Amino acid sequence: MSRGVVTYIVGRFLQSVMVLWIIVTLLFLLFRLAPGNPIANYIDVNFTREQELNLLARFGLDKPLHEQYIVYLVNLFKLDLGETFSYAGRSVLDILKEDLPNTIYLTLSSLLVAYGVGVLGGIAMAALRGSLFERVGTTFTLMTRAAPTFWVGMLLLTFFAFQWKLLPSSGIGPALVRYRWETEWDKLMSPVFWRHMILPTFTLAVYLHGLPLLLMRSNMLEVLDQDYVTMSRLAGYSEWRVMIQTAARNAMLPVLTALTLGIGYSIGGNVVIEVVYSWPGLGRTLVDAVQESDYPLAQGAFFLIAVIIVIMNFIADILYSLLDPRVGASAQAQVS
Amino acid sequence: MSKRLIRLSLMITLLLLMLPAAAQDMGELVPTITVHSVTQAERPIEYETTRLVVENMRELGLDVEHRAISLLQFFDETWYSRVEGEGRVEQPFQMTAWRMVGRPERSEPDEFTYNLFHSSVRDGGYNFIGYNNPDYDALAESQRVETDIETRREIICEAQHVIRNDMVNAYFVHPLTPQLVNTEVFNADSVVTEAGIGVQNFWNWINIEPVGDERNIITATTSNLNVLNPLEIAGDSPSRVTEIVWDRLMRINPDGFPEPWAAESVVWEDDTHVLLTLREGMTWHDGLPVTSADAAYSFEAALAGKMKTNDDGNEFFRAEAQDYYPFARNVMDIEIIDDLSLRLTLETPSGAFETSTLSKLNLIPKHIWEPIMNDLIADDGADVDSIQEEIPIGSGPFKFVAYDVNEFALLASHTDHWAAPKADGWLMNVLPNLEAMLGQIQSGEMNLLWEWPSDPAVLKEIADNNEHLTLFTETSIGFQYFAFNLRYAPFDDVTFRQAVAHVIPQQFIIDNLYSGIAAPADSFVSAALQYWRQCDAPLRSYDFSIDGARELLASAGYSWDDDGRLLYP
Repeated sequence: MSRGVVTYIVGRFLQSVMVLWIIVTLLFLLFRLAPGNPIANYIDVNFTREQELNLLARFGLDKPLHEQYIVYLVNLFKLDLGETFSYAGRSVLDILKEDLPNTIYLTLSSLLVAYGVGVLGGIAMAALRGSLFERVGTTFTLMTRAAPTFWVGMLLLTFFAFQWKLLPSSGIGPALVRYRWETEWDKLMSPVFWRHMILPTFTLAVYLHGLPLLLMRSNMLEVLDQDYVTMSRLAGYSEWRVMIQTAARNAMLPVLTALTLGIGYSIGGNVVIEVVYSWPGLGRTLVDAVQESDYPLAQGAFFLIAVIIVIMNFIADILYSLLDPRVGASAQAQVS
Repeated sequence: MSKRLIRLSLMITLLLLMLPAAAQDMGELVPTITVHSVTQAERPIEYETTRLVVENMRELGLDVEHRAISLLQFFDETWYSRVEGEGRVEQPFQMTAWRMVGRPERSEPDEFTYNLFHSSVRDGGYNFIGYNNPDYDALAESQRVETDIETRREIICEAQHVIRNDMVNAYFVHPLTPQLVNTEVFNADSVVTEAGIGVQNFWNWINIEPVGDERNIITATTSNLNVLNPLEIAGDSPSRVTEIVWDRLMRINPDGFPEPWAAESVVWEDDTHVLLTLREGMTWHDGLPVTSADAAYSFEAALAGKMKTNDDGNEFFRAEAQDYYPFARNVMDIEIIDDLSLRLTLETPSGAFETSTLSKLNLIPKHIWEPIMNDLIADDGADVDSIQEEIPIGSGPFKFVAYDVNEFALLASHTDHWAAPKADGWLMNVLPNLEAMLGQIQSGEMNLLWEWPSDPAVLKEIADNNEHLTLFTETSIGFQYFAFNLRYAPFDDVTFRQAVAHVIPQQFIIDNLYSGIAAPADSFVSAALQYWRQCDAPLRSYDFSIDGARELLASAGYSWDDDGRLLYP
């Protein structure tokens, strides 16, 4: 790895840390500057002022803002996200640890489907450029990309779950089966869990597949004009081999970096799908926390989503610098 | 000039000096009135009702501003801003849309009779409107200690008349709770609705009878089951679980009256001594017997707490179970007589004790809760609301199988219970998506829908289109109303309040905003609580009439300026 690339990576790392610091500061301020009393939902109307102050003290809300901020930052470093307001004495981390795996399963499976379909679809459309397949495919993809996910979700629910009764409509498994899962492994080994994942995965994939498909298609069209592709053809390789081994391999690089970014954004963007399908994940917890004014939990959930997005951006940057030598070189030029 | 003449001329001068001041006061313009409500997005019907009433108030020559704000801000500007200079915002509220929700414990009229209007709870309690009437206070206090039910009913009737005549709150509806039951899964005749509550009541859960292969009650809620703890009231949905997992000494029956339950007999030895005898053979869900020591401990746990010091150095008592402490506060002494009997000594006689204490307090197993409470008392910061048992143990007709805060609560029939449920199990899923809830009740995935925070007409339509679904509607114990801040003008004037009551188009609101699914309200005692509404004379009515309101104001000396703006008398 050249010195330029190393300097670039270190620079990007420091930038990422700065971005995170800005995000946590904004989160801290946003929740405290919001109108209303942060513990209004938890104060019983019969509480005396003393009881209310007691509650404020319990959550550290009685201290001056700057002190709260310092405590908050120190705690974040220790990965202590505080105590939730609304879940009996449970820590924010505890709740998020339960939710995050469900969100990750959903995100990864839908990305897998979306990118699988997207890449193959992109290749096919590039190969069949100008055909009816390409024209219909492109229109369909643009439509799915524009359709709101909650609407697609509701449509799929109505038909597949309620009309035709082919698939379950909510949750990660019926309670009667679900309560026997003691570990994550039990859950992953259960066909019931995967069956419950089909509709939310598909809904998310319908939305996500547009980007890789269109990206792959345009990259392929660019690559197909390159001399080495013409050379491969002249060398007598079959069209299939030219498409897959020569063109697609080269056209894939931007799609791979888009995938790393997609992981980050999808985790944050699952909110709607998780509510529609009552999927117990990070997004739904975030919505509940905001609705119930559970500030520590909302802050924690936002923070976790932000961390994932920043990390994925950082990984995408590294991938770029490793895969595309120009990135490292330009960074080196800037340094020198 | 004689002294008398000097005195007379001084008096005349003084009178002349006072005249212009009096003339300024009389006929002063009624200032702008702010009417609060929650935003349209949060509570559409309440918002629209307020908008309508504000328009009508303008017809009286008033300058009225409708301030619709988010729920969190709303409480700050109303509940927490009662008195000038002491609230969270500068100005105390003047008039606000408000609601009291129906809960089983509110079927006992004491809660509303006393807490909404007694002057002692003006500063921090439910009487946020600041009603201060010594005659009413006397009524509220006497109904509390009156143990003869007929006499008590008469007192409560009188209290309702006083509140209605004084137009303390302008009630407009008791919502009707629309609910659906799958009557292909359950025998329709076995469905029990509780007065003022609906199908989500204890008696229904134990009596509803499955007729086919599906032997479980499957229902849903939109809110998370944040904590399931017998010493904490965590909200409507968790309460549905706690009331069937933990038994109580008495239960409120479907007609709204307390009857012996885990206590086989409740004998009043005199006004302050009650002898309770438990049923024989009751067991906790872990198999141990339920004894009088457990019952006694249930009171002790509710009364447990520690002394704390506030910022000013004053000591105060802090109960561990903040929610249940008020229910047990009147119990001065507990005496265990034998394995099944105990005697309670009350500090003061209480006509509501059976409903507001014996029917509310959950029986908890001493062997489980004593160590927990001892740890809590030793720990300065923690409260009982931070406790969540992994598998909670009660002695109720259903026992815990499993639960997850944002997914479900799964219970099974406690077959050893003397009143074991007819269904095998009880499942409440957490479904934040209302459309999914509608889909599930129609497809059969769910067989009882009790919580519907949206347009009631939708459920009516679904019931009409699905033969297997039956709609149940019950008048709520709760009510919706406009609350006035009685501390300040113009709402300190009873005639002014009565005039405002006349501009609330009650029937129009019911027909158009509630699609007919609401009952007209005229009192804090719901029509659902029939016994407490059997009064000799009907309550005063305030028919919708803007002209009538103007006449009322004019008769009290109010007038209008040339621009039609209302002037004080």
